[in-house]
Order: sequence, then structure tokens, then C-alpha cells
Amino acid sequence: MKKVILFLLLAVFSLLGCEKDDICSASTSTTPRLVIQFYDSTNPSVLKNVSDLKVIADGMTEAIDFNGNGNTVSIPLKTTENSTSYQFILNSTSSTFKNVDAIRFDYSRENVYVSRACGYKTLFDLDPIIPFTHTDSAQADGFWITAITVEKKSIDNENETHVKLYF
Amino acid sequence: MKPMLNSIFRCFLVLSFLGVQAQTLSNPTKDSIPSNPKSVILKTNQEKIKDSIPAKVNRYGLRVGVDLFKLTRSFYDPEYKGIEFVGDYRLTKKHYLAAEIGNENKTTDDARLNFTTKGTYLKAGFDYNGYTNWLNMENIISIGLRYGVSTFSQELNSYKIYNSNPYFGEVPELISGQKSNGLSASWIEVVAGIKAKVINNIYLGFSLRLNRLITNNKPDGFDNLYIPGFNRTYDGDFGVGFNYTVSYFIPIYKKKVSPVKSL
Repeated sequence: MKKVILFLLLAVFSLLGCEKDDICSASTSTTPRLVIQFYDSTNPSVLKNVSDLKVIADGMTEAIDFNGNGNTVSIPLKTTENSTSYQFILNSTSSTFKNVDAIRFDYSRENVYVSRACGYKTLFDLDPIIPFTHTDSAQADGFWITAITVEKKSIDNENETHVKLYF
Repeated sequence: MKPMLNSIFRCFLVLSFLGVQAQTLSNPTKDSIPSNPKSVILKTNQEKIKDSIPAKVNRYGLRVGVDLFKLTRSFYDPEYKGIEFVGDYRLTKKHYLAAEIGNENKTTDDARLNFTTKGTYLKAGFDYNGYTNWLNMENIISIGLRYGVSTFSQELNSYKIYNSNPYFGEVPELISGQKSNGLSASWIEVVAGIKAKVINNIYLGFSLRLNRLITNNKPDGFDNLYIPGFNRTYDGDFGVGFNYTVSYFIPIYKKKVSPVKSL
């Protein structure tokens, strides 16, 4: 009898000690970013690396965390508004080859429950009619992005490509 | 959680102390020397010598009480209102039918969520007393099982959006007000408890409970993070609980215990 109680006490206190579900683990799928992949415009099935790409949202002073090269960039969307505008600056370190294109993404939002520790996440649905608006920047330097295609309208995780950019 | 642990330990200390007291109180010195030795001589002359040990009698009846923890918490915690009544009925020497009924109204304020749970619960089952009492003690160290059911509502007051890439900064919490009524859950509880008789028919009790959910009817777009009677839910189906009760025993009938033959 005493052993049983001791065991129960132990079980209870060990459970009380565990606060695992109070920390939102990194493996939990929370608010996703928009995943963009870059493709070669002359050979549309081949991924192409960008050079010194800087991605910065309108009204922000700092670019998103991206090393500038590679063929994939994930950009956060605003969870408080239904559109987010970004400037994609190619060859950002060069003054002569620098080229700025602006893309505005329009979408609808939905807040979905995740867990006690994570709270809620926001999922996005790109607008079915005009998902994006591609414009040149203030400096008329021409478009470096030749085509944009939407691969997946609903953005609910970061494991897939949502938008393809060709250049 | 830390203050709760502390309070549990404190309750334990108090209870163990009371238990010791109860034992010493309810074990009066039977064989102390009478103040007047003459009367003893007289008695032995007049009566036949009786067995000095009176027959052991077990009292059967109903014990009703209230959870002191929930009651006091309702006073000091503005986010909590709750009450629990407990009762048990002695069926056999060692078996008791036991039940708890309660009502809770609790607002939980977590880091990312704030919600209010309101509801009523009922738990019914049995206790098995594993403690062998001395002559006229009536203490209980029991282990038991309960089946619990609860009907309740959840109201999400506010929530935060989790964003692992807070490029646009942390979004302030959003007010919701989404309410789900008519939710229900059921579970099984393993109960380990102590009840100590403090005076005549008044008992102080403490029990620890390990719960496992069986059914859980969750609200749309939210979860049952707190269930009245079950308490906080964790990632899995398990939960824990305790109560600290004061109860009154209403004796109904008595049974003599047939003496056990010893060597």
C-alpha cells in the first residue's frame, strides 16, 4: 500500500515537473513564410542562383535574413494586413548592375489554433485573381524578373514552393 | 507550478501532523492506573472479571465534506471560482463508495492565450482502505478509482499569433471572444488518499489523483486546455489533481468485528 502511494506521488510530481508543452518547439509548424524559388528564364525547368539579392519590405530599413545567393528565399508576410510589398534588389552590392523590382502580394488571412505554447498561427491564401503585382522601382532600371508564376495559392507550410520567379 | 508544488508539500506536512495527533488522541490510555484503587477492588468483588478489551466495533455511514482548497482559492484568486463537495459511503469493512461533485469557473492566462472555462463535473467510484486501524481509530489510507464526467464551456478571450520570423515585429495580442458551449469530457482517475479523524466525526482528508482522458469533445478551432474536475490538460491524455477536504461522518449503523484468533 505504501509503495503504491509512493509510486503515485512520484508519478504526479514528475508530471508536474514536466513543462515541455510550455515551450513552442521549433519543429511545430507555425506562421509560414512565402517560399520563392528562382528559375532560369531561358531554361524554365532549371533552378538558377541569384547574386547578391537583397529582399526588403516597403517601410522597413533592414532586409530579411538571406545570404544573398542561392535559389530559394522565404519571405514573411504581414499578419495584420492583406498585402505585403517587397523590393527585390539584384546585385545589391554593385552600383552599376544594381536592379530593383517591386512585388506586392495580395492575400487573405486565417488565424488557426496551434497549441497552448504556440498560441495561434496565421495562414495565407494568395488572391485567386491578382495574387501579385510586379512593378519596377523608382529608378527606371527595367525589370530583372521576366516572369512570375504562382505554384501554390494556399500558404500553410514552408515545405513547398509557393511562387516561382524567372530571370 | 512552483507555488502549487509548495502548497502541496505544505498541505502534506500539516496533514501528516494532524494524522499523528489523531492517532494519539483517539488512542486513550486504556490501561492507565485509576485514580481511586478502591473502586477497582469493589468492582472485582461485585462483578465477574470481564475481558478488559471491549469488542471492536466498526461504524458504517455516510461522510460528506467540502474541498478546502477550491473554497479558499475562490477567495484569494480573482480568476477562479470553484467548489467541490465530496462524499463516501462505507459499503464493507474496507470498501467505500465515493463521489465528488463540483463547479468551476476559471480564467487561464497563459503566455499566448487567455481563456475562461466554466462547467460542472461529477466523479463516482470507490475507495479501498488499506490501513488497518487500531482499536477505536477510524483513519483511512486509501486507493481508489473514479469515473469523471464534465460539461463545460470555453471562451477564448485573447490570443497571440506565433511567428518564428518576426520581421515585422511582434503582433500584439488579438481579442477574440469566441465561445463554445456544450462541450464535454470524461476520464478515469486513480486516487490515493488519506483521511484522518481529528475530532469525533470530523475528518481531514487529502488525495492525489492521476487522470486519463477517455473522451474529449473539443471546440472548433480551439482546444480544451482546462477541463473542470480534470484540471489542466497536457499534450497527451494524462492529467493530475488533488483535493484537501474537511468532512463530517454521519453514522448509520454499527457492526461488531469478530475477534481474530491469534496464537
